Amino acid sequence: MSEVRKRKGGKEREKDADEPVSPVPQSPEKAKAPEKLAPAAELSRKEKPVVKPLEELIADAQEKQEQWSNTWTVGLVFVSLLAFLTRMYRIQDPGKVVFDEVHFGKFASFYLRGEYYFDVHPPLGKLLLAGTAALAGYDGHYLFDEIGDDYVVNKVPFVSMRLFPALCGSLIIPFCYLTLKELGVSYVAALFGAFMLIFDNALIAQSRLILLDSMLLLFGVMSIYTWIKFYKTRMSPFSFQWWFWMSMTGVSLALTLGVKMVGLFTIAVVGIAVLFDLWRLLDIDRGLSMTQFYKHFAARALCLIVLPITLYLSFFYIHFALLPYSGPGDAFMTPKFQATLMGSEMFTKSVAVPYSSIATIKHRDQGILLHSHDAKYPLRYENGHVSSEGQQVTGYEHPDGNNYWEIIPVDAAKYPEAPEFKADAMELKRDVRYLRHNDIVQLLHSVSLSFLLTHDVASPLTNTNMEMTTVPRDKADERYEETLWRVVVQGGKDGDRVRTKSSLVKFVNVKHNVCVHPNKLTLPEWGFNQVEINGEKNLEHKSNWWAFDDIRHTTIVNGTDIFEPPVDASKKPRGHMPFLAKFFELQAKMFEANAGLTSEHPYSSTPGSWPFVVRGISFWENKEGLRQIYLLGNPFIWWFSITAVGVYVGIWTVDRIVLRRQVDLLGFSLRRWFDRSIGFLFLAWLLHWIPFFLMGRMLFLHHYLPSFIFSTMLATALLDFIFRLSNERSPSTLTGGNAALAARVPYFVWMRTSLFGNILYTAVLVGLMGSFLWCFAFFSPISYGYGLPSVEAVRERKWFKSWDLQHA
Amino acid sequence: MAETELRKRPAAKATTVNGQPESAKPEFEKPVATFTEDADPQAKNKIPKKKNSFNVVPYIALLLTIASVFTRVYRLGRADFVVWDEAHFGKFASFYIKRSFYFDVHPPLGKTLLGASGLFVGYNGSFPFESGKQYPPELNYTGMRAFCSLIGSLMVPLGFYTGLQLKMSILASTFLATMVMLDVALLSISRFILLDSLLLFFTALSAYCLVVFRNYQKTEPLSTRWHIWMAYTGISIGCCLSVKWVGLFVIALVGLNTLEDLWVMLGDLKMPVRTYARHWIVRIAFLILLPAAVYVFSFWLHFTILNESGEGDAQMSSLFQANLQGNNFHENPISIAYGSKISIKNGARGGGLLHSHIQTYPPGASGSEQQQVTCYHHKDQNNEWIVMTPAEEDMPAENEIKYLYEGDTIRLQHDQTKKLLHSHPLVAPVSKAHWEVSGYGNLSIPDPNDLWVVEIVKDGRLQLEGEKREIRSLTTRFALRHKALGCLLHSGESKNLPEWGFKQAEVYCDKTADVKNPGNLWNVEQHWNSLLPPGGAAAYPQSFWRDFIDLNIAMWQANNALTPDPTKEPDQLTSKPHQWPIMQVGLRMCGWGDNELKYFLLGNPVVWIGSTVALVVFAAVCFVYLVRAQRRCGDWKNEDELDDFMFAGKVGVLGWFLHYLPFFIMGRVMYLHHYFPALYFAIILFAFVVDHLAKRTGKVLHAVILLAFTAGVVAVFVQFSDFVFGMDGPATQWAHLKWISTWNVFDGVAGSVGAALSGDFGGAGSGSA
Repeated sequence: MSEVRKRKGGKEREKDADEPVSPVPQSPEKAKAPEKLAPAAELSRKEKPVVKPLEELIADAQEKQEQWSNTWTVGLVFVSLLAFLTRMYRIQDPGKVVFDEVHFGKFASFYLRGEYYFDVHPPLGKLLLAGTAALAGYDGHYLFDEIGDDYVVNKVPFVSMRLFPALCGSLIIPFCYLTLKELGVSYVAALFGAFMLIFDNALIAQSRLILLDSMLLLFGVMSIYTWIKFYKTRMSPFSFQWWFWMSMTGVSLALTLGVKMVGLFTIAVVGIAVLFDLWRLLDIDRGLSMTQFYKHFAARALCLIVLPITLYLSFFYIHFALLPYSGPGDAFMTPKFQATLMGSEMFTKSVAVPYSSIATIKHRDQGILLHSHDAKYPLRYENGHVSSEGQQVTGYEHPDGNNYWEIIPVDAAKYPEAPEFKADAMELKRDVRYLRHNDIVQLLHSVSLSFLLTHDVASPLTNTNMEMTTVPRDKADERYEETLWRVVVQGGKDGDRVRTKSSLVKFVNVKHNVCVHPNKLTLPEWGFNQVEINGEKNLEHKSNWWAFDDIRHTTIVNGTDIFEPPVDASKKPRGHMPFLAKFFELQAKMFEANAGLTSEHPYSSTPGSWPFVVRGISFWENKEGLRQIYLLGNPFIWWFSITAVGVYVGIWTVDRIVLRRQVDLLGFSLRRWFDRSIGFLFLAWLLHWIPFFLMGRMLFLHHYLPSFIFSTMLATALLDFIFRLSNERSPSTLTGGNAALAARVPYFVWMRTSLFGNILYTAVLVGLMGSFLWCFAFFSPISYGYGLPSVEAVRERKWFKSWDLQHA
Repeated sequence: MAETELRKRPAAKATTVNGQPESAKPEFEKPVATFTEDADPQAKNKIPKKKNSFNVVPYIALLLTIASVFTRVYRLGRADFVVWDEAHFGKFASFYIKRSFYFDVHPPLGKTLLGASGLFVGYNGSFPFESGKQYPPELNYTGMRAFCSLIGSLMVPLGFYTGLQLKMSILASTFLATMVMLDVALLSISRFILLDSLLLFFTALSAYCLVVFRNYQKTEPLSTRWHIWMAYTGISIGCCLSVKWVGLFVIALVGLNTLEDLWVMLGDLKMPVRTYARHWIVRIAFLILLPAAVYVFSFWLHFTILNESGEGDAQMSSLFQANLQGNNFHENPISIAYGSKISIKNGARGGGLLHSHIQTYPPGASGSEQQQVTCYHHKDQNNEWIVMTPAEEDMPAENEIKYLYEGDTIRLQHDQTKKLLHSHPLVAPVSKAHWEVSGYGNLSIPDPNDLWVVEIVKDGRLQLEGEKREIRSLTTRFALRHKALGCLLHSGESKNLPEWGFKQAEVYCDKTADVKNPGNLWNVEQHWNSLLPPGGAAAYPQSFWRDFIDLNIAMWQANNALTPDPTKEPDQLTSKPHQWPIMQVGLRMCGWGDNELKYFLLGNPVVWIGSTVALVVFAAVCFVYLVRAQRRCGDWKNEDELDDFMFAGKVGVLGWFLHYLPFFIMGRVMYLHHYFPALYFAIILFAFVVDHLAKRTGKVLHAVILLAFTAGVVAVFVQFSDFVFGMDGPATQWAHLKWISTWNVFDGVAGSVGAALSGDFGGAGSGSA
């Protein structure tokens, strides 16, 4: 065992860590902290002659590196071609809508139609899909209604639309290959790593369809690659290359985030690396003055914060610019936002609400209408509560005469505290009074002629909220204050008129200070399974918002106010919102909707099960020909990768514990490579996986794919590391068994001593690859979806009960 | 100044570094693991004592203790009704006195102590502790409250000495103790029959023991006192855990500190391996085994005291219940016959009884909309099923007995609704991968989907080999296989139905049909058949460990089922973790009518906001120190000074963090008082940060600053003291104390809703959290 037992203070070790690892070799005397090492090295040199001095080793390595550059290029071309082939193969098949194409295809169509839609993902991916579809001459006529619909019948250029994701999916491989090269693994290992990614069934199945994931993965690996390239130029700061790679990192990060919010994890990985780097720049031993440090800091802030944010915002700018018309996404946005969309009801149908008009009142989120009918609350409920036996007030979703309420102004004679009635000259002239923000009104149910009221009785289904009922007109005076409602407009200012559809209002009871509020639950049979309406004490509750919807009044004809000029639906909308306000609103809604995706899906799964290929996702199936597309990783590759992660953690832990006892198994430079290369991949794997455990939303296997790619690269680098460490070219053999000197051999020297490692190593890689290929071929029918000859063949592939393959 | 220092290269440091002589530097740069090399390690880490002068420390401690006892017992009996969660914990205390078995989500130690306090003041356990009800004259509730108060007031001297042991100045420690004493929230919660004062006391005790132990670890490891304090720490964390599971967080704090110690010593090459091994062994014994023993002991006490059947029976296995006095399981006829009425219990840990009720699966939840079948934990007539033959004509005649054997095909009829246990290839409401089970059909219409095959998996009692085995009550564990689908009747895995299913456990037909899964196993719990003789007091095997594990799993599941339910809980009672440190919420502890005596649970703003700010300031201070260290500014006189700073920071920040952060990932319903243990650690950090920063300003200003902070705490407390000692009359009198608009001191409108709903409000079953 090459033990280096030496006492070294923390400080000294720190100093070593800051020694630049430049491709330009430094003489050993200069490169290392010489005081303690040199005597040890000299001592061993006397005992055993060194095979070659360090300088020569370094020079050799660099020379070889240059010689091999063509070989690497050949490899690059080879893996890229293979990647294209595997992803393009039978891409036209099936010519049916598969899995989430139903969403992303649809969204692309909306861009081509210009109709506003809403989705939880940022727009870039869908913009790119729409772009390719537009190039193929598609006009967005089909809305990808259901999984299994036929593309040919609907005349959709689906092959062209699938080509782009497939292209992105193929480009992942060369980028990973180059990343492995930059990390310093051997040629044969880099090929091996690329092969694992080429022949992974999950990556293939996910890349060949109209989905966002292949773009996300591509931009993610690009971010990592560009960051590593940047990190390697750190010895020549502020050079052209340095700026180039740093800004490319920023661009890649923005692209990643622009496709899916998962990009945040990639940003976290790079962010941690940046902080780590900055922290070391701050170290006084690095010799930077504070001014120089601030320059470094500012450069990073510019390229890695300002640049990505600008790009990210620009995606949204394009998004809004391409979607000028009202569409299915309107309902998710605030009325103010909707008013900026052409053809939106918010400006074509919106009128000011006059007093004495009869209107329906619609709930903003649930879409139910405030309703009352000729039925009473039962005296005693199932839960033992006692009611007032008053008339029921409910929420009802269908048009009905019982949904209409008349708006009656407060009578200052009966309620002296009522605010003064405002009316401008125009209103006086036309003899119409309009409802304004903060006005106090009564709501008269126009069928039963009774007033909406709330009082100190618990509502049917809650203990805490007040019962909502009505009181007949003749008895209303005794309980006048309980029938008064203050109309508060969202974001309203004094004097603002309340408009139908576009003004969100809440009704606050004057006496009890509660809001008209729908419960999530429906009433039992006595309430005709309609929604319970109660008085909510929390005035800020987010579902207190309503809007006047359909309105009847003498001054309103065909839904337009006779005093207002008619609106031309084709003209520019009246509403205006600054871009950033739109952006923040949409971003907030996206987060909200994302967190709200909590229902269970038959193929959703838990993060803990992903690395172990416990189950997949059924994308599409066709009974005829026993065809199906089932998203499932290549089990051998996935198990191999996750095992490697475990082995890495094991080696790391053992090394740290042993090192604590001052036993140095790896040597300084090897450990640094181990930590910064494999450790970086480990960090990337971890940060793309762990956060999912904290998410409440439903999750799917494909959320693990970014992590999977990093774990595969980790497996490759680790395998290379282990075999090279154990073969004759390990650093200690390079230095003739001189452990002290071996500790100082830079990684690229021992990593670059051969292209293929030894025969054993190559044989092992080829053997592993063989089994992976077999596994790929075995499962490819369910990845490409070209069907199996018999039910037995399907069952043969169902290795575990939890793999819920169809037709098995 | 700072700017220029940061720019300095090492060369510039040669003369002086931040005013420290250069000679201080090498000591700081020593490797971490050198404390054993100190020439006189004992001298360094002692609490600073003024020699030859009057030692004020014990007198201050005494004063603080007296003051804190006074605050905690002053007007203690004023509320003569059941306040807030007294409704739960008073009731549980009664159960110990009555010795009747109950079930609760919290471990037993705290409630056992409350029971003991009740016994001590002569309470006979007969009062039902209904929320808001007046105490009967014979019940000395003040005595029971005083027990909690006294325990709670001990937190104050503990805080004081913890401060001193963390090397804070005497004034800073007094400031710390004053905050603990006069925080309105900590004070309020200590004055009622609740677990919180016990929990907080044990938390504070654990923190104190940990700090003392750490000082011995630095100066005299493996000495007798070192051992003793480690044992104290172990007992204390064990007690903490045995009161509430929140104690796990303080265990985590101790555990992390232990790991760090071991890691530091691992790097000490001079330490003999045997010594190092001893460090491990002693820690395992005192910090793992000892607390575990305390925890187990509290359960042993629980089971020993509660030997009579009570309302918590159904949470436990049938065999456990058979051993409780006062139930009639031993009267069960042994073997089941056709026509027997039985209740069937699930074999998973904490499994419920097979149950059905008239309500149907709602549209959208499942395909069938047939009658719900669930697992329910309470005894109820809806748990009763009748064993029927597949065809009506096969049923034995009136007086004929036909036993049920292994492999028989049966139908199970729900006694109350006469529906049959049914399954069909429709997706179950929650577990979408399995088939739904429902109540459907009736006896006269044969339906193959009503047929179940009984398969014996295990039998607790010997039956003859080769013979067809009978199904016996309590001891036989069997599976029910659906004849048409081949799946097994399943429950467990803590999957509860949503509100429409009353949060009862889901029952479905398990497609994997794995008989090793305990959720697929069932046993007959109660058995009624007038034709058969009672089984007699047969010896049912009893096992403490089985019951212990069963109960813990049931507690875990019940705890997870305490999810927020907006229809049952008023919004004002529950809160979200992010609201706590910024004091967004207060909590009404009782009804809010104008004529009622009211208690409002709310922090002392100086303490709460101050401690939160202190956390931020501490983070900033650490950041500055780190950057300066990276620029070699040399801020520390020696390694010990840095170490003490880091340790105090770790206790404060880590303690706060570990007691606070987990609440963000918990799904269960949460209340304001869940923040209190975290607050205690934030208070420690608050005092420490003020002390640390004020120290730099010179002696006089240091004292002035600390006294000013202390005075601020006292002054604000005086303002808010009515919240603690009770508010009489309309809440609007205290409207001026509504400093933050979200505090619901009053509702904003006179004659509030609270009056009308007070019946539901008073401690509206806050789940005894």
